[in-house]
Amino acid sequence: MLENLWLIPAIPFAGFFILAVLGRRLPRVAAAWIGTGSIGLSALLAILVGIRYLSAPPEGYAFRQTLWQWIEVAGFSPSISFYLDSLSLVFILIITVVGFFIHLYSIEFMEADEGLKRFFAYMNLFVGAMLTLVLADSLVLMYLGWEGVGLGSYLLIGFWYQEPANGYAARKAFVMTRVGDTAMALGLFLLFTSFGTLDISTITAAAPQQWRPGDQLAVWAALLLLGGALGKSAQLPLQTWLPDAMAGPTPVSALIHAATMVTAGVYLIARMHAVFELAPSVMALVAIIGAATLLLAGFSALTQSDIKRVLAYSTISQIGYMFLALGLGAWSAAVFHFFTHAFFKALLFLGAGAVILAMHHEHDMFKMGGLWKKMPVTFWTFLAGSGALAALPLITAGFYSKDQILWYAWAGERGNSWLWAAGMLGALITAAYTARMVILTFFGDMKQEPDKRPGVLIKIPLIVLAVLSIIGGFVEMPHNMAAVHLFSDWLGTALPAIHVEESLQASEFLLQLAAAATVFAGLFIGYWFYLRRPELAASAHRSFAGLHRFWFQGWGFDWLYERLFIRPFTWLAAVNRADVTDYIYTALAKGNESLYHIFSRTQTGQLRWYAFGIGVGALIIITLIAMS
Amino acid sequence: MSSEDFRSLLPLLILAAASILLLVVIAVRRDHRLVYYLTVAALAAALAASLIPVEYSPRTASPLLVIDGFSLFYSALLNAAGLIVVVLSYTYLRPLREQMEEYYVLILLAVLGSVILAASRHFASFFLGLELLSVSLYTLVGYMVRSRDRSMEAGLKYLILAAAAAAFLLFGMALVFYEAGQLGFSGIGKYLAEAEALSLLIITGFGLIIIGIGFKLALAPFHMWAADVYEGAPAPVSALVATVSKGGVVAVLLRFYSEVDGYQFPVLALLFSIFAAASMLGGNLLALLQDNVKRILGYSSIAHLGYLIVAFLSGGAMAAGAATFYLVAYFITILVAFGVVAHLSSGEQEAEKLEDYRSLFWRRPGTAVVFTAALLSLAGIPLTAGFIGKFYIAAAGAQEGLWVLLFILAASSVIGLYYYLRIIMAMFASAKDPAQRIAPLFSGVGLLLVILTVALVWLGVFPQAMLDMINEWVAG
Repeated sequence: MLENLWLIPAIPFAGFFILAVLGRRLPRVAAAWIGTGSIGLSALLAILVGIRYLSAPPEGYAFRQTLWQWIEVAGFSPSISFYLDSLSLVFILIITVVGFFIHLYSIEFMEADEGLKRFFAYMNLFVGAMLTLVLADSLVLMYLGWEGVGLGSYLLIGFWYQEPANGYAARKAFVMTRVGDTAMALGLFLLFTSFGTLDISTITAAAPQQWRPGDQLAVWAALLLLGGALGKSAQLPLQTWLPDAMAGPTPVSALIHAATMVTAGVYLIARMHAVFELAPSVMALVAIIGAATLLLAGFSALTQSDIKRVLAYSTISQIGYMFLALGLGAWSAAVFHFFTHAFFKALLFLGAGAVILAMHHEHDMFKMGGLWKKMPVTFWTFLAGSGALAALPLITAGFYSKDQILWYAWAGERGNSWLWAAGMLGALITAAYTARMVILTFFGDMKQEPDKRPGVLIKIPLIVLAVLSIIGGFVEMPHNMAAVHLFSDWLGTALPAIHVEESLQASEFLLQLAAAATVFAGLFIGYWFYLRRPELAASAHRSFAGLHRFWFQGWGFDWLYERLFIRPFTWLAAVNRADVTDYIYTALAKGNESLYHIFSRTQTGQLRWYAFGIGVGALIIITLIAMS
Repeated sequence: MSSEDFRSLLPLLILAAASILLLVVIAVRRDHRLVYYLTVAALAAALAASLIPVEYSPRTASPLLVIDGFSLFYSALLNAAGLIVVVLSYTYLRPLREQMEEYYVLILLAVLGSVILAASRHFASFFLGLELLSVSLYTLVGYMVRSRDRSMEAGLKYLILAAAAAAFLLFGMALVFYEAGQLGFSGIGKYLAEAEALSLLIITGFGLIIIGIGFKLALAPFHMWAADVYEGAPAPVSALVATVSKGGVVAVLLRFYSEVDGYQFPVLALLFSIFAAASMLGGNLLALLQDNVKRILGYSSIAHLGYLIVAFLSGGAMAAGAATFYLVAYFITILVAFGVVAHLSSGEQEAEKLEDYRSLFWRRPGTAVVFTAALLSLAGIPLTAGFIGKFYIAAAGAQEGLWVLLFILAASSVIGLYYYLRIIMAMFASAKDPAQRIAPLFSGVGLLLVILTVALVWLGVFPQAMLDMINEWVAG
């Protein structure tokens, strides 16, 4: 079964090619089902591979499949191989299964869109690239997948390209992530010069031998890789593209900008953990960036009125938690949060999409309200997802994963009370903005009648994901509650476990109580300000209008970047309109052309001249030999 | 001569016997098709015979010839190239009113001469093979006397210049013999190893031999005939000049150099470096704005042999392998290119002007795609044979630290890309008048071109099998 691994990314790519080549001739329904079916098939294979992997683990808990070796010359042997271990298995399962349900949902969501075939072609391309990214055995192939998902994201954000703003958002996302990618490419060069290979397992095995902890090169390598991760995962300071990326169709936001692509940075750091562990200062930086991002994005989420932007900031904030966990060395906790987040955040986006569709593409939550009776399935599933996002204790998946991160922030070997406090404050804000979102959308007075009820293709994904958002966390319980640690055991074969300060063990229950209390406090704030006393929210809004605007605009990063980078750059571009560097290349081209004209005059067609050429050659030879 | 000697010489014997047999057949009855089939059979048999006797090798079949993995590999390569040229020639020649039967005899003799060069271990067989090859080529280049006026001119130019170069070569051999008293390569090598002080004369002899070789390979400054001959000769003969005539000479150069250990003379390495650099730059620059596709391919062959000399100069463990792989890649590529030219030529008029290729894609998409693949391979774009060849050269050169030459190789490749892309852009330019799309004619040549193109991409994607084979046969 494991030999079929290559099919998992190959099938979505095949779907893309079929849709791209035959798209015009296919009926719309067929195109939609080809696009969805390819991901479904891939998901089925991923599940079968997963079962096979778990029931009979391969040697060393890793399976490598070499598909193609190009050449082997002078120690240079580029090949394309896939690498399956528990880490990549978690990712392919999430990508294909969640991806499948999002595709299913899209059939109905995009029903009336004239770009339906293009949509499914892009989506398949994206899924194929994402699977390549997580299965890649070498950093080169991973980079290929990395850029592939960037391309897919660009195409899908700008999917409705007739609207110039969407094209701008797509370009913004592409350029911002490219900033990170450039750092990452430099990191790859650095790793290659240090290890002579970009094979991931070779590097992770050799790094601890070659570098001592804190080694200058290790720090640089980790920093540069982190740059790539920050761009892709929309973390400080490269986070500004994600809220704008909501310009794409809602299923795109669910798949790419919530569940999968934006977690690629988490994957990269987890995959290269051996390098990061050798750079403790960078680890600390990762944790600080994670903590800062989760707070910043949380405050911004509190002020948004567009339901998708709330979810976008919430995504940035939740990935902040994952980065915090990564920085703490709590590798499996980060991946666990990715796992539960993929379910509930995809669910929330899909639910929001269903609402938006019913409200004539209205995004503003203040123009919604009272929908819970009219759209019961959407409401109850959305509520499940919101519970998970707010980390409602015991009954939701989000609680288990977030609690783990908070616990390690407190008790982990790299943890400290500041990081823990940031996480706790973040949890409070998360609960508050979640409550605000649910209340504004589903409670209160109905401002507009929903005219379109979601059909079965929208309901199925919502229900499935809602169930997963509830039960997905039960695979891993806090130590003091139940001895269930399937997830960390499973990942333990690929990622090292975190050490916990023994002396702090006793405080775990207290911390859980505190976390639970925080969540309820946050929910209560939301309830109080937006349902019980809405006038309080309005007056708070008035008295802190400046702060509100500051948070609403994402802490002014766009404003800052506009002045710091964009304007100087466009100014420079305008000044350099007749590109100075171009002169060099024009001169080169002209020089070559005149050389051509000079040389071609030697081609006279005259025999005596040609014979003279031989004579000149003979002269050179004899002169040089005589001189030697 | 033992029966095993006999069997090991089988490729040479088949070619020689077939040429005589063909003369007899022609004397009895002129039949283009029959002669064609006999030639194909002879070359196929010689190709097969090159692959069989590997178990008897290495074998010194006579003082003049050695049959080993190296010569057998080259023999197979040269016979295969000859076979392809013959298939291209048949459809090319059919509409012409020439006496075409003897043409095939000449091709057989040219291939024979080249195979002799590949097996040569002695000045006598070196010169014999070279002259057998050259004399056949003079006639072949000037073969289309009745249909094309430039053919004769090209043939004459080639004859006179080649004779001059051969004179230098012979004089060089004489000088070496005068000093060393030996004509066999290994004997000369032994003399050089044992001699206490070397006189300038023997090195001058080597230098003059380089002139003969440089002329055949069209290295600058001995290159000036190339474009005129490529342009004037019938397209299949240009393909023959580009492949068979170069392959044998490269083989004898590699063997001669390794037997006498020519790498011990820095001045010779310097000379080769100068000629390689001049060829890479000169060839690519001369092709830059050229409008005649056959001349472009001629100039490009100058540059490509320059690249090959870089591999040869690296002299390390990888030299022979890199040079041979490059030659294989170049053979396939240039055969496709000239195959397309021959395929598009009709009777009196050759498709040689860039104009003839404008919007070819919209008229004959298959042909245009095949030609594009060949041009990309010539330019050394990844996933084609040409890229792997160039990469291998760069790897071999880098191991020996030939940085200046590698820099020139890279820079001139960029220049080269320009004129390859010019042809490609012309082919894909949209047609001004909606010319009717010609229904693709299914022909033997078309099929052959497709097979060669597949091989070209195959070698670019899965080169390892060929690399292993070369390492085992040639370098081993």
